[in-house]
Amino acid sequence: MPATPSLSRPLSRRSVLRGGLGALAATAIGGPLLTACGGDGGSGGDGKEMSFWNFYGPSDDGGPQSKWFVDVAEQWNANNDVKVKLRYIPGKDYLNGTTLQTAFQSGEGPDIFLISPGDFLRYANGGVLQDLSPALPDEAKADYLPGLLEARSVDGKVYGLPMEIEPLAMYYSEAAFTKAGLSEADLPKTWEQTLAVAEKLTGKDRYGVMFETLPGYYQNFTWYPFLWQGDGTPIKDGKVAFDSPAAVQALKFWKDTIQNKVAPRKALGDGGGDVVSNLGSGAVALQQSGIWAVADMRAKAPKFKYGIIPLPTPPGGKPATDLGGWAFVANSKGKNPEAAAKFITWALGSTDAEGIERQRQWNTVVKTNVPPRKSVQQAADAKGAFEQGVLKQFVDEIAPTGRPEPRFPPEVYQPIADAIQACQLNGSDPAKAAADAAERIDTFLKTYQGAPIS
Amino acid sequence: MATTTAPPSKPPVRRPPAAPKTPMTRKRREALAAYAFLAPDLLGLLAFVAVPMVLALGVAFFKVDGFGNYQYVGLANYRLMGGDDQLWASLKVTAIYVVSFVPIAFVISFGLAMLVRNHFRGIGWVRSAFFLPHVVSLVVVGLIWQFLLVDKRGAVSKLLAPFGLGDVSFLGTPSLALGTYVVISVWFVMGYQMLVLLAGLKDVPKELEDAAQIDGASAWQRFRFVIWPLMRPTSFFVVVNSTIGAVTGLQAFDLVFVLTKGGPARATSTVVLYIYEQAFTFNNLGYAAALTTVVVAILVLCTGLMFAFTKGGRFDED
Repeated sequence: MPATPSLSRPLSRRSVLRGGLGALAATAIGGPLLTACGGDGGSGGDGKEMSFWNFYGPSDDGGPQSKWFVDVAEQWNANNDVKVKLRYIPGKDYLNGTTLQTAFQSGEGPDIFLISPGDFLRYANGGVLQDLSPALPDEAKADYLPGLLEARSVDGKVYGLPMEIEPLAMYYSEAAFTKAGLSEADLPKTWEQTLAVAEKLTGKDRYGVMFETLPGYYQNFTWYPFLWQGDGTPIKDGKVAFDSPAAVQALKFWKDTIQNKVAPRKALGDGGGDVVSNLGSGAVALQQSGIWAVADMRAKAPKFKYGIIPLPTPPGGKPATDLGGWAFVANSKGKNPEAAAKFITWALGSTDAEGIERQRQWNTVVKTNVPPRKSVQQAADAKGAFEQGVLKQFVDEIAPTGRPEPRFPPEVYQPIADAIQACQLNGSDPAKAAADAAERIDTFLKTYQGAPIS
Repeated sequence: MATTTAPPSKPPVRRPPAAPKTPMTRKRREALAAYAFLAPDLLGLLAFVAVPMVLALGVAFFKVDGFGNYQYVGLANYRLMGGDDQLWASLKVTAIYVVSFVPIAFVISFGLAMLVRNHFRGIGWVRSAFFLPHVVSLVVVGLIWQFLLVDKRGAVSKLLAPFGLGDVSFLGTPSLALGTYVVISVWFVMGYQMLVLLAGLKDVPKELEDAAQIDGASAWQRFRFVIWPLMRPTSFFVVVNSTIGAVTGLQAFDLVFVLTKGGPARATSTVVLYIYEQAFTFNNLGYAAALTTVVVAILVLCTGLMFAFTKGGRFDED
């Protein structure tokens, strides 16, 4: 077949022109049609359907976590007039992207969505969170572990229900310890021991210890426990308290791991919380991460032998960990905020057998968390979920030392993030970094008007 | 096909132009055709660039909280900039990036263009190889390099290990991160620039070079006095384009976002990334819009100066 039959025919300019104008006309007509098709899931409509944006399901892989979300929505829809429609947003976009923010800015925010403690105040102060208290029976409130609802409340009104608790610990590789001639007795309990052991564990292809190095909310989240261990806190009674010996020593500890060349400056895979890619690949021997990694390792590196220890402490310090965890929240400016609140309290707060089972599934079957409710913990215990191994340690030993992740607005988060980055990766003086951050936080607090920062 | 319905559809070239029925002159038809050809692009630019730009300028005078509330604040967003240390730090990062990336990319691309200008066996392969990085998405480029530059275990570390540089962290060390990012950007952009410069080189008349050679000009002299002057307009285009790309283009954002998120210790926090942070981390959309207008103003100024100094890339023409 000849290669250029159509090209050899002379094309008149007029026919091109005609075609072009036709295409233009088609675009002009088609444009509005196209835009009419887009933008599902936002506000507007008849209030009979609520959008629920999340980063679990229905995902393409249709894994167990996605299935849990789909099942919850289906169950609700089977018994209620106002239906829930899930919209899956990939985690990276949900956490660092613009989808949620632009939707809210244009008044097209979802009716129900997931929120992290770091974002809580921004949305609460923006006046877009719906009070869930009227839909939440006292019995359900009392079922939550202490502090969890308070962290998501303003003026006694509960704005978010936590779906999980994710404490942090240190994961260690048994093989790396054995290879370095170390035993369980060498597992570090203090910062000093951590640095010493990490040095022994560091080799040609391996770092001894790893903390998150990428700037962001997650890095701050993983650093706070080291601040708390020395009884420090960024803000106390509404005033800045960051310029403290506790902050300085915690900044120095992370700095030392890099300066001593026993920790990497850049993590593999999805970052410092990704145990499979880092500890599992043998790139590090000791790594800070959360309880979610137990499920990850079970799924992706089931044969890898590892253990966990509580986060090491400074001299005279007390054990501490950070209790992360996302919450369901409702948009007060959505189509049907009352129904959204009812859905959330039903999905996460029901105290009947079905509700407890739903929570047990999420926290111990499709994911590994510490359940945020007492009744769910009991149900999980009855099934032996925390009978042995690392999960038992998480529940018995580590979670009780935890505090809910602080709900700092970005203006508080950022100076702390800068201090951590400067000391850890740029060798800055911890005392100066802490003082600089304190000054910036102080400036912000002087003009801050909003819900109390904790 | 098109010839079936419309009766007078023969190509106008073949027909004598004296058709008294059509009042349009050839010139007007040409103009109309030109506008019609431009229209799709122009409409797109209007709808997706010009209108949002004007709106952004408007938003810059408001405090926008990210939840649909606007409050007029006059020039307050602009006044904030003076005391914003992080903004100045990010402008400095961008400035260092531009003054290192633009010349390096230009010199390397020019070199490559000279290299692949003449025909030799496998020329197509060589050109394609140089151009290939540019067809890959920047996010993928970021991930590939992240993989190569893994601390201790990455391919680059393994290559450098014999020289005692095995544990250098290129993306994790503040003093190296920006330089690494320049190298990656050059690698990404050189194929594209090479292609543009190659097109320019193809326009340099061979006879001029031949004549110079007959007159005894050396290779360097032929380059310096024949090729280089004729390449000025193309070079100018490449440099201006490259500068704008370095400040606001995808490589100023996508790469940084994937590789370092502005870290370590803000070493790669470019001004575009900072604007993004202000808009989507801090919900300061008004301030972010104001910053955008300033960046655009700086770019317009820089480009204007380049135009003025080089007379649009022609340097010596009056």
